[in-house]
Amino acid sequence: MRQLPLISRRAAAAVAGIALVGSVAACGPKEAGDAKGGGAAGDPKQGGTLTVLNREPQSDFDPARLYTSGGGNIPSLVFRTLTTRNRADGAAGTKVVPDLATDLGTPSEDAKVWTYKLKDGLAYEDGSPITSADVKYGIERSFAGELSGGAPYLRDWLVGGERYQGPYKDKGGDGLKSIETPDAKTLVFHLKKPEGDFPYLATQTQFAPVPKAKDTGTKYEEHPVSSGPYKVVRNTGDGERLLLERNPHWSAKTDSQRHAYPDRIEVKSGLDPAVINQRLSTGSGPDAAAITTDTNLGPAELAQVSGDKQLADRVGTGHFGYTNYLAFNPRTKPFDDPKVRQAISYAVNRTSVVNAAGGSSLAEPATTFLPNQKALGYTPYDHFPAGRTGDPGKARELLKQAGYGEGAAKGPLTITLTHSTAQDFEASPEIATALQAGFKKAGIVVKLQGLEDNDYKQRVHSTKTQPGLFLGHWGADWPSGGPFLAPIFDGRQIVEDGANFNSARLNDPAVNDEIDEINKITDHDAAAKRWGALDKKIGEQALTVPLFHPVYKRLYGKDAKNIVISDWTGVLDISQVAVK
Amino acid sequence: MSAGTLEERPAAVAPPAAPSGARQVWRRLRARKSALIAAAVLALLVVLALAAPLLGALEGQDVGAYHDGLVDSARGGVPIGSYGGVSGDHWLGVEPGTGRDLFVRLLYGARVSLAVAAGATLVQVFIGVAVGLAAGLGNRLVDSALSHLSDVMVALPMLVFAIGVTAVVPSSFPRPVLLVFVIGLLAWGGTARIVRAQTLTLKRLDYVAAARLGGASRLRIARRELLPALAAPVITYAAILLPTNIVTEAGMSFLGVGVTPPTPSWGQMLSTATTWFRADPMYVLLPALLLFTTVLAFTVLGDGLRTALDPRAASRLRVGRTGRAARRRKRGTPA
Repeated sequence: MRQLPLISRRAAAAVAGIALVGSVAACGPKEAGDAKGGGAAGDPKQGGTLTVLNREPQSDFDPARLYTSGGGNIPSLVFRTLTTRNRADGAAGTKVVPDLATDLGTPSEDAKVWTYKLKDGLAYEDGSPITSADVKYGIERSFAGELSGGAPYLRDWLVGGERYQGPYKDKGGDGLKSIETPDAKTLVFHLKKPEGDFPYLATQTQFAPVPKAKDTGTKYEEHPVSSGPYKVVRNTGDGERLLLERNPHWSAKTDSQRHAYPDRIEVKSGLDPAVINQRLSTGSGPDAAAITTDTNLGPAELAQVSGDKQLADRVGTGHFGYTNYLAFNPRTKPFDDPKVRQAISYAVNRTSVVNAAGGSSLAEPATTFLPNQKALGYTPYDHFPAGRTGDPGKARELLKQAGYGEGAAKGPLTITLTHSTAQDFEASPEIATALQAGFKKAGIVVKLQGLEDNDYKQRVHSTKTQPGLFLGHWGADWPSGGPFLAPIFDGRQIVEDGANFNSARLNDPAVNDEIDEINKITDHDAAAKRWGALDKKIGEQALTVPLFHPVYKRLYGKDAKNIVISDWTGVLDISQVAVK
Repeated sequence: MSAGTLEERPAAVAPPAAPSGARQVWRRLRARKSALIAAAVLALLVVLALAAPLLGALEGQDVGAYHDGLVDSARGGVPIGSYGGVSGDHWLGVEPGTGRDLFVRLLYGARVSLAVAAGATLVQVFIGVAVGLAAGLGNRLVDSALSHLSDVMVALPMLVFAIGVTAVVPSSFPRPVLLVFVIGLLAWGGTARIVRAQTLTLKRLDYVAAARLGGASRLRIARRELLPALAAPVITYAAILLPTNIVTEAGMSFLGVGVTPPTPSWGQMLSTATTWFRADPMYVLLPALLLFTTVLAFTVLGDGLRTALDPRAASRLRVGRTGRAARRRKRGTPA
């Protein structure tokens, strides 16, 4: 269902983020330039042209079709949403803040009804006012079959969402009855069950206003009507080349988050990652004022850049709530035996794995399933302490109890590890071989099964073909424990025919109930603690072996100023960058 | 009885095409220094590849052992030390990211490259000769069917097809064997064409006609009369096929459809090394240099073999020389 884990790590990190529910601190307007960003010296000023060098084209530039978390990076320049992510460095960037709305929404007692008020003085690029009906219409469009592509949450959460077919099929009706617009400034959402994370969902581009009179259906992506600081002047090659210029009707008075320093933004995509990083490091001509929003430094590029002082100063570090792990299928032998799973947990050599993933600057060893971020509820635990390089002795002892080993009844433990052949440092051969070498020390014989990437994804996410042991990875759609843990461990999210992410097929009523309970909490910090406790509890079962949390190194042009990388997106926030 | 005598005689007349004068071939080959050097290089490489476990033991390194301490983890896993971490323990340095010993991995890589290429060449030659002979000796229907099949094989985009096949075969099947068959079964078209053309020429020669008149079966003619005469062009062609096969194997491993990790192969090393060429040039240079040397040596040796084996080329050379000399003399007389 969730698509995020299916896209590559780089692409996953490129989608933009959200921030915390119920946090009060981040709501005050910020003055231009107050962000503690890095980059070239001097105060950021308005003007100039910012160039964006990207791998993936910004295709389907329609708010209904974009799958973003937090409204995306480039999309967020054009589409304002009810709420948005806090544009700040590090952990502060995991907070959610109001955007079009005056606050993060008023929940009902049970968090099933959410009410929003729009700010005053909001206008589109043509000067016409933004109304609550436009926001409702934008959401309704995303239910249309021809505008698919967005996240599945609205369909799952809104009352009647599973039956609604979108405004083009439902011409006469009032649209989705679960979204009320009592006046031009008020929106009331009715949800099927309590969802404390609703303000996070409201950062996605589906919550951007679309004027019904200007809607051209599938052609809307050619010129979506801007509510943000920039408007689309030219879009060629389905988002491969984009030219954005200032939207004169956007006002910083109603938008405390986006800075909009450059006058023009030119996006050039479809480039090779090596080319992007080379052009950024050379920085000739317009490339001096260039950034990338979807490409990070690979291990070899990092080795080269870190040897050059001038280049090393132009590298930003980003974190993104993400975990790479070993997934067991406890319905197959020998992984049905908890002792075998524990032995493997003890035997893992995380130093080799981290090195295979690009070294300690690009990956941090993980012992928890939840990423090491407070917003996601990170609660440190290490149930099967393997140390830095593994504990083969303890692993052998457990295997002996399970009947494996030299001279034991079942002989040495022989297992097959399924991985992808894509060299993306996700589920790639390097990581699989590093694990294999580590397990050898514990007397575990690992056979590698490398599958072509699409084949790999299909097999590991189908309950029918799922291998016993494979390399998995997971990122959340917003920095909260819910979207991180529920798809993996909620028994009701086991998908028998389709993409299934609950690889262990855990269906524990206690876990399911706790997930429901936490979803009722609208205080993000309180919810985060409960998610952390839940993660720790599930971890005891050794259903996965957390391996590492990736870290991203981003190179930027020498004239780029005010570099802000939030812990939630892990990429530099384009709305903050200045080139003057 | 009469058939026997008829057969024996042409065999004695055959020498112009057959490499019966092995000594002569050797003499001609010896005269080419480049071929000898190439042969020596290849012999050394084969010995090194065969002795890989011994040499590994001598160096004290294992082909799959990780050395986390030998790479700078904070700098993307670049080997610590100059020239890619060259030291008394690691003669050619270590692999970035893993710290595995490069010397041992290159030697084991040579095993894969040479074994797969040699095996694939054998398969190609075997099928090529069989199909070519059958086409050359068969009736028109057989000939046109087999010739078209060979044409299709030659025209087939080999690499694309090979990638497709390796993707379908289960990964439990041993990869080097699979590669031998994939490369071998897909690239025999050239051999078949050459063998067919040669067969068509040879079968019109008197000694073959004599054997046929003597009542020898097609199989017997193929075996006793044609095969010896085909040896020279086939060996020459095989010497060209072998380096091509090495490159194909490296190419497939480079693309990730060849030998699977942790088995080392030159192509696979080159593939991971491409991103490292600035940060750790040694990692790229070593497998590239080895691949280059091997392919060059095979090509030079093949070239030498062709001149030594192909009497027509040799005689053409002679004719050319006398012809030029004669012309010069002629021009000289009127003046």
